[in-house]
Amino acid sequence: MTQGDTDLITESDQRLDIPWEVVLWNDPVSLISLVVRVLRALFSYDLAKAERLTMQVHNEGKSIVWSGDKEQAAAYCVALHGYALSATIQQSQ
Amino acid sequence: MSEPFRRVPEGISIDLPDPLRTWLAEQARAAATDAVQMEHPVHRRLLGPIDPSQDHDDPVTELQRQFGVEGSLGVLIETAHESLLSEVQAEEWIRALQLILAATAARLAITDEETLSRLSEENAEIVTTLQAGISLMIDALDA
Repeated sequence: MTQGDTDLITESDQRLDIPWEVVLWNDPVSLISLVVRVLRALFSYDLAKAERLTMQVHNEGKSIVWSGDKEQAAAYCVALHGYALSATIQQSQ
Repeated sequence: MSEPFRRVPEGISIDLPDPLRTWLAEQARAAATDAVQMEHPVHRRLLGPIDPSQDHDDPVTELQRQFGVEGSLGVLIETAHESLLSEVQAEEWIRALQLILAATAARLAITDEETLSRLSEENAEIVTTLQAGISLMIDALDA
């Protein structure tokens, strides 16, 4: 890319490069063991990482459990909803 | 009572009293009915938009999610009185029990630990029964 091209990039174009995040929210009824199991199965996380993220959700109210392209983030979010877990997607700040 | 869910060579065996099976199927039907009513709290909880900056998901995602909810609850309804589940059906039971639990939480406006702790004895028992079922099914599937 040349310097001249850079002048033509708009703010919305730049945001295409910003990753999307899957945010998992705490809910008072879902079991910790269920959340750990789903995170391991869905993202292939090892037990330690799945437990750390789950405890972050439990203690802090939410956790960013994955980031990457929008389509994959949406697919992961839908899969989490399949287990009735509260999840949303957002673009990184 | 013996273990309600147990791994056997053919899959997952279920040993639950008939009234509990009937109750689970009724809860699954109620969750499926409430989930498609746009203004119902169960709809917002189970099928609210995945991107909170939008009013709703794109149509494909919306349908995909609705089919997922109806599919999982449908498997539980259809197999509620079976004595043996395949592993795939057992995994759908976990999803369905979670969906019923979330629907129950939405109806009872359980939003945090405090509202959970203030439930009536009857409603608290419903929540703990569903949580126990999920936990026991996970144990059986992962055994």
